[in-house]
Amino acid sequence: MFIHYLDLSWRSFKRTPLVSFLMVLAIAIGIGITMTSLSVYHMMSADPIPEKSSQLYSVQLQTMDDGSTWWTEDNMPLQLTYQDAENLLNAPTSEKKVAMMRTGFSVYLDSDKIKPFIGNARMTTPDFFSMFNLSFLYGGAWSKEQENSAAPVVVITKEINDKLFAGQNSVGELIYLDDASYQVVGVINHWPLNIKYYDLNNGAFNQVEELFMPFSLIKAKELVSWGNSNGWKHENTPTFADKLQSEQVWIQFWAELNTLEQKKVYQNYLLAYMQEQQKRGRFNRKELEYKLRDVNQWMQYNNVVTEDNKILVGLSFMFLGVCLANILGLLLAKFLRRAPEVGVRRALGASKRQIFLQHLVEVAMLGFIGGMLGIVLAQLGLMGVGQSYDYYENLATMDLTMLLSAPLIAITTCILAGLYPAWLVCKTNPAIYLKSQ
Amino acid sequence: MLEIKPIFNALCRSKVGAVLLLIQIAITTAIVSNAAFIIQDRISYLNQETGYPEQDIFKFNVMTFGTDINLSQQFELDESMLRKMPGVVDAALSSSIPLSGSGSASSFNLKPAPQEGLSVRTAYFFIDDHAINTYGVNLIAGRNFTEDEVLVTNEITQKRTNVTIVTKALLDELYPDGDGLEKIVYFGDLPLKIIGVIGNMKGPWLKDSKPDNLAFIPYIKAASYAQVAVRTKPGQRAAVMKEIENAMLENYSKRVINNIKGLDELKNEYTAQDRLMMRMLIVLITILVLITALGIFGLTLFNISKRTKQIGTRRALGARKSAIVSYFLVENALICSLGLALGVVTAILLGKMLMQYFSVAALPPSYIAVTAIAVFLMSLLAVLAPAKRAANISPSIATRTI
Amino acid sequence: MLQMNNVSKVYQTEMVQTHALRDFNLHVNEGEFIAVTGPSGSGKTTFLNIAGMLEPFNEGEYLLDGVDVGRLNDNQRADLRNQKIGFIFQGFNLIPDLNLYENIEVPLRYRGIKANERKRRIEQCLEQVGLASRAKHIPQQLSGGQQQRVAIARALAGEPRFLLADEPTGNLDSLMARQVMELLEQINRDGATIVMVTHDSELARRAPRNIQVVDGQLADFTLYQGAQTIKTASGV
Repeated sequence: MFIHYLDLSWRSFKRTPLVSFLMVLAIAIGIGITMTSLSVYHMMSADPIPEKSSQLYSVQLQTMDDGSTWWTEDNMPLQLTYQDAENLLNAPTSEKKVAMMRTGFSVYLDSDKIKPFIGNARMTTPDFFSMFNLSFLYGGAWSKEQENSAAPVVVITKEINDKLFAGQNSVGELIYLDDASYQVVGVINHWPLNIKYYDLNNGAFNQVEELFMPFSLIKAKELVSWGNSNGWKHENTPTFADKLQSEQVWIQFWAELNTLEQKKVYQNYLLAYMQEQQKRGRFNRKELEYKLRDVNQWMQYNNVVTEDNKILVGLSFMFLGVCLANILGLLLAKFLRRAPEVGVRRALGASKRQIFLQHLVEVAMLGFIGGMLGIVLAQLGLMGVGQSYDYYENLATMDLTMLLSAPLIAITTCILAGLYPAWLVCKTNPAIYLKSQ
Repeated sequence: MLEIKPIFNALCRSKVGAVLLLIQIAITTAIVSNAAFIIQDRISYLNQETGYPEQDIFKFNVMTFGTDINLSQQFELDESMLRKMPGVVDAALSSSIPLSGSGSASSFNLKPAPQEGLSVRTAYFFIDDHAINTYGVNLIAGRNFTEDEVLVTNEITQKRTNVTIVTKALLDELYPDGDGLEKIVYFGDLPLKIIGVIGNMKGPWLKDSKPDNLAFIPYIKAASYAQVAVRTKPGQRAAVMKEIENAMLENYSKRVINNIKGLDELKNEYTAQDRLMMRMLIVLITILVLITALGIFGLTLFNISKRTKQIGTRRALGARKSAIVSYFLVENALICSLGLALGVVTAILLGKMLMQYFSVAALPPSYIAVTAIAVFLMSLLAVLAPAKRAANISPSIATRTI
Repeated sequence: MLQMNNVSKVYQTEMVQTHALRDFNLHVNEGEFIAVTGPSGSGKTTFLNIAGMLEPFNEGEYLLDGVDVGRLNDNQRADLRNQKIGFIFQGFNLIPDLNLYENIEVPLRYRGIKANERKRRIEQCLEQVGLASRAKHIPQQLSGGQQQRVAIARALAGEPRFLLADEPTGNLDSLMARQVMELLEQINRDGATIVMVTHDSELARRAPRNIQVVDGQLADFTLYQGAQTIKTASGV
């Protein structure tokens, strides 16, 4: 019977092509607009590491003296001081943890074949790769010993490896970064990351770095941050050593806490650490404060999805509402015109339910066609979005969820719009339409 | 005059269609007025005067990896080379670049740290005496730095700089009485005498709470990573930009020149989200108005085909064509007025909601009024064509039995 | 077969109550061919609509084949209509988008009959009304008489035992009207019970039993040419 209803719907579609087309167009445009803004929203708010997003915690410490303020909603600095990062890194607790910072080097080889270029680097600790689920194409992370001794080693991305070594296994090779040579110990696979959640300082949609190197090199090479450094009080820091000892915050810190138990232990540790530091005159506050935010909380806290996106999604759904009212009106007119035929069908033994279903199938079909066309429009819209903003290129796409939900939303919308007209037409008294046409 | 009451009664009988149209008009009014306000807000944000001849300025990054030179000397060589390049007006090493979204900010205080006093947040550039000419900004009072006042170093030194040039906005905030020129401000515990004032000049962040606060500090710290700003003669920027990498590498090759970008390009990147929002809203409201117009158009067509016989009968009974047209116009005007009344309320509510949950300013009533008038005119236009068609229905149709 | 006892139907509008049927009583036996006549507005069509279960009634009792129609819900009425009743209308009421074959298929689909059985019946019915070669035509391509024959074929396809015809020849010229009438008589001889509403007294006279509706009541009935013996003359 369903196939039969589809057949009837298609005939009805062809009988009033203009009105049908208008309805499909209304739905398609509504879906197109809604899907465009929803896709961007979806990609921005999508969990970047669903398998362990609730186990990775960004660590924040309230280092400021009482009375100082920060611009965040809870008045907490977003990053850690170098000394706190170093201390937390050396904590005698069992969890995986990572301290890191973004910087950059000019990259070149000991030959003229490759023109020197600027490479973005992440100075980090070896747990980084396993914590954030990076996989290696060749080699692996540097060792604890190499980390502790600030060894001149580097892990590079597949893209850089392709560029410098034509995709060959480059483990053991030397590359030059600024004025020194570093040995390649690993090559990571392509790491497609839409949101650079692990460090949001340079914008959430910034590219992942190309070089990964030991955190201890910061001190050894006096590397400055290519992200934000913020202070809350005046400090004279003429030398790099002064800066390392200062209250300026510029280091990102994450811990992997797999169980509630582990989290509790870590929380206690953080409190104990701050109390310990108080004895040295730091953390001049009545109440000690720390924050552990998991990946999704962290993204929300940092407003990765901008206000503009939220407003757009809201307006788009209102827009869809207008399309729905529009379609409802057209459907009403179309179905009521068909009342005489419905009368005949009722006389020939169709039940109300059958008539109702027949019309619902028809609107669902309109919804499906509209949804499909809507996907096409949304693709055009996303192309426009992608072109307007470099960083958006990766975000302005529809993933499978979005592709599937487009026709689903379209059909649901259409059925919602069609319920009333279908009900109206199935409850009309057939007798009055039979006497004369 | 016109038979409003019978039209109204007829409307009441087919209320669902009318209500739907009413809802559409209401939501359309609400969305369009609020979106138009946001669009206008973005347009004025994007078109604000930055104080720079954006089309003539560009910047590039220098990342030096060679260690066989003295960086300070090299930069002086580079600067004089750049300033001599054909088409170039002036060039300067600049610790940050305006409108780029990245830079440094600190507070200027009236008392040296750690004493407490009036403290004003401002962006600052470490730059030399070519700053004003390179950025093409307007010195409205005081004087430029002299060459001697510029501290050039790549070593830790106790020698300190002691002057600054600030924007008028910053000066007025520090010294509201207008007597700030030649006075001292403290950059941390470093005293700086304000020797010059610049009219309008935006800092690195247009979205900052104080986008107009900016200070030049005459200090060049030679580092392996540096940014250079260049102003060219009008129309010659593209040519100079093409040359720049080779010219710089010819001077000294163990470095990377990249990020060669015009000031307008930097501004575009910084404002990309805003431009995107603006464009999407424009697309949204254009299509929305079209869809609503189409809805009115379609519904009127249906109403007419439903009433073909009635219209024919009216014509047969002596109604003029104009009477038929005005019947539909009045009918539409009635629905539209109700819809607009509801729309004004919805628009105000939506505006309130946007204000409450987002950083959107209060919606001025003028936007609602203009939108309401526009929607009303649009709906009349949408009705006109089908109404004229209805007026052309032949009276003879009344005598047929279809 | 059909039994109406004191059936009343009242149309309620804002101002007035109209009694379309008032204490209407009628018994129709299996195999009868009845013509219903009466002036315009007398309630003929109301009677037919109620008989066909297209409209509910307000009072009284209506038994169709022993089933108390008043107690059925809408779905049950639709099923009963689909299985036992065939309709023939003055305006033919063929569905314009469907071809002849598909038009006849409509009631069979609602009954849930399988495709090959549907095919068999449709072909048989088209054969019966002499339009087998036109199965793929759409209604517009046929003359009025042909369209009415299709409508009859559609009514017959469900093999109903009860055929309701509302002015079946009203839109036809006399020659075609006669052909349609002959077809109906043939169907009656094959065993179907037929109730036909008409205002054409000549046509009515060809039916074995005539009844007249005036002011919503059965006013009179006459028996012509006793082709069939009426066992119970009830009503009045």
